[in-house]
Amino acid sequence: MRPSAFQRSITEQGRWQFTRALRATSLWFVLVGLAAHALGQNPGTLPSPGALKNLTIGQLMDIDVTSVSKRPEKLFETASAIQVVTADDIRRSGATSIPEALRLASNLEVAQIDSRQWAITARGFNNVFADKMLVLIDGRSVYTPLYAGVYWDVQDTLLEDLDRIEVISGPGATQWGANAVNGVINITTKSAKDTQGGLLLGGVGTDLRNSAGARYGGQLAPGVYYRVYGKYFDRGDSVRSDGRRSNDAWRTIQGGFRVDWDAVANNSFTLQADAYNGSIGQVGPDNIRVNGVNMLGRWTRTLAENSDLKLKVYFDRTHRRIPGSFTQDLNTTDLDFQHRFPLGTAHDLVWGFGYRVVADDIVNTPANAFLPPRVSRELFNAFAQDEIILSKDRLVLTLGTKIEHDGYTGLEFEPSARAAWTPNKQNTVWLAISRAVRTPSRVDRDLFSPATPPYRVAGGSHVVSEKLIASELGYRVQLDPRVLVSLATFFNDYDDLRSLEPLHPPLAFPVETSSGLRGRSAGAELTAEWRATPAWRLRAGYTEMRVRSEPQPGAIGRGTRNSIVRDPNHQFHLRSLWDLSAKWECDAEFRYVSAITNQTVPGYSEADFRVGWNPSATWEISVIGKNLLHNHHPEFNAPGSRREIERSVYTKASWRF
Amino acid sequence: MAFLTAIACGGKWWVVGRWWTVGLFVLCALRATAADSAAVAPPSAEYQVKAVFLFNFAQFAEWPARAFADARVPLVIGILGDDPFGAYLDELVKNEKIGERPLAVRRYREVKDIVGCHILFVSRSEAARFDRIIPVLKGQSILTISDADAFTRHGGMVRFVTDSGKIRLRINVEAAKACGLTISSKIIRPATIVTAGKD
Repeated sequence: MRPSAFQRSITEQGRWQFTRALRATSLWFVLVGLAAHALGQNPGTLPSPGALKNLTIGQLMDIDVTSVSKRPEKLFETASAIQVVTADDIRRSGATSIPEALRLASNLEVAQIDSRQWAITARGFNNVFADKMLVLIDGRSVYTPLYAGVYWDVQDTLLEDLDRIEVISGPGATQWGANAVNGVINITTKSAKDTQGGLLLGGVGTDLRNSAGARYGGQLAPGVYYRVYGKYFDRGDSVRSDGRRSNDAWRTIQGGFRVDWDAVANNSFTLQADAYNGSIGQVGPDNIRVNGVNMLGRWTRTLAENSDLKLKVYFDRTHRRIPGSFTQDLNTTDLDFQHRFPLGTAHDLVWGFGYRVVADDIVNTPANAFLPPRVSRELFNAFAQDEIILSKDRLVLTLGTKIEHDGYTGLEFEPSARAAWTPNKQNTVWLAISRAVRTPSRVDRDLFSPATPPYRVAGGSHVVSEKLIASELGYRVQLDPRVLVSLATFFNDYDDLRSLEPLHPPLAFPVETSSGLRGRSAGAELTAEWRATPAWRLRAGYTEMRVRSEPQPGAIGRGTRNSIVRDPNHQFHLRSLWDLSAKWECDAEFRYVSAITNQTVPGYSEADFRVGWNPSATWEISVIGKNLLHNHHPEFNAPGSRREIERSVYTKASWRF
Repeated sequence: MAFLTAIACGGKWWVVGRWWTVGLFVLCALRATAADSAAVAPPSAEYQVKAVFLFNFAQFAEWPARAFADARVPLVIGILGDDPFGAYLDELVKNEKIGERPLAVRRYREVKDIVGCHILFVSRSEAARFDRIIPVLKGQSILTISDADAFTRHGGMVRFVTDSGKIRLRINVEAAKACGLTISSKIIRPATIVTAGKD
């Protein structure tokens, strides 16, 4: 098929700017790279065996042994608002999907829209396609560049294989790249080495009607571990406000594998893949069909104690057919390289680059159309970051920038400066200033309705990136060995937010997608963790936030104030994890989310409850109740089309062998 | 880069498989050229520290008299399954003595090979077989240690846990006592005590 004139102009213009971008930045990167090779081969910093033997047990426990292939995670001293959800947290929450597990991070707004759709973001501007959050699964971006957002209904894996979920609220663009504007959700699965043996799972319930999963992990050769898994689930409908069923029940089957090879002490390889197929009910002629396959390879080479190279390549293909709306195929190919090395004793540098090709093919319908229907875009990025120790163990300054190029808007710079001051082991104060952008996606530029002129809604050829300047200030304090409190505050200033501008004012229609809004948000995220007794832990989170938007000066804007604000002003979470005995666990969670004024979603309180029984080391049986306080309640969307979430109960059994 | 564009535009995603294979070969070639320098590389910081912990257990645990044939029989640190320590552990305990007793390191492929062992590090490679391995060791006065998930849940005595980059100990004191072993409070105090059936 011949590319259209429009498509050609995009790629030609893109190539020209791309070359310029390369020239502008390559010299600097070459210099950094040379410096790396000249100075980066520092020997390890671990004491000699003789010295190690003379340490006390307490001193041994103080040594940071984090695998040198990763940047050591000194969570307490991190200069950003990060929350970590561990595998055990997920197991004890009774979460049955990744979005449900994300409710454990109190710095996120998580609203269930219907049986399969979720609105999830940090720090405001939430929506079905919350477009300012970057979501990664094992380093693979699942942010769809077509719609700007995440299709949560196809982001899944065996939850028992999840290692951790890191949720960073606030911009992460310097390290993670475009669209990490309001936050980053980084989901990682366990190494195949840590999932050896068999696991069988089964569950029945009222919402998650049937679910089954199986995993087996073994060894292919010495040092080469693998696992294969498969899962299936069948979920029931959400309901309308009057309690009628809404015909959005769905089923998905998914499978995959992961192979990890620690070749020799300083090389490791990972190869993993997933494939899924699902059928989702909708009001209309036929079910929505989704399927996809992805494959990822990673190579890490350790050069020295604080120095390594990482190379990652992945391919991701997704297909979605929404009868009556459109059919889309999206192929993403991505390559990333990263090099980390120390420079002297005070500098820890990381630099790298990435290249991605995103190609989609859309079958339009008369109601609305992506024009042109078929587009391929190239994205290029390079980044460098220097962590500078200004005073050992006390004051760390991190400076960095990412340079990103995409075919729509050309070069984007995303610099940040972060500082963390740790006067003693009990206190950390951090502050950060960063710039982040959300680059335009197909939905901003190319969506037209109806499919042929005259258009009522036209794509915006002038849509530019949404820009954010964020200031953050945070404080963490270990009040007592059992009490950890952390507070993150932020002020965000947004420009060029997406809007719909009338083409012939004062007529309300036709409209064109434009960048005519600006916004501000401010808030505070407070979390506390208390190990009351060895058997009882409590965790609380409170978020207070105000989000505002308004037309930019000079914009014709039919947008009224706060037209794109759909966020609760406050949220409160309380979670209790209690080991009744070696065999019994009892866990509860309470949450309060205040009203979403724009959508007249009332504020609500809900509670979940779980009882777990481990009759032996290999068996676990649990009963979980979700949303127990109401028959059904709404969490998102305007009345009328809105769906509500019902109380549900399910029971689950797992057997390890 | 052109080939990536071609693949992505054409939608012939299976072509990636071919490039993938080529890529893997290139990686292997790179690895091969790098292998010489890596052959004598010490284990990661994590396993260096864990090796020192094993040495500490030799010093700060007490075995019943029946565990040793006589006063000069070496105290044996065994590794079951894949060895993550390499020569580092052997170097570490060489010429060390607990009183009159020297230390020795032995490697075992299978649980039935274990004879005269005092501290047994069970490698992660054995994680799938814990429920078969641990019952066999019971009553043998062997201090069992591992860093694999669920080790203590299956009845193992000591588990290394990495928490925020630091190594922590989880010890099932009851299980050690049941085998006649006494672990010094120097190790117990900074550790987390777990009960049977718990991680």
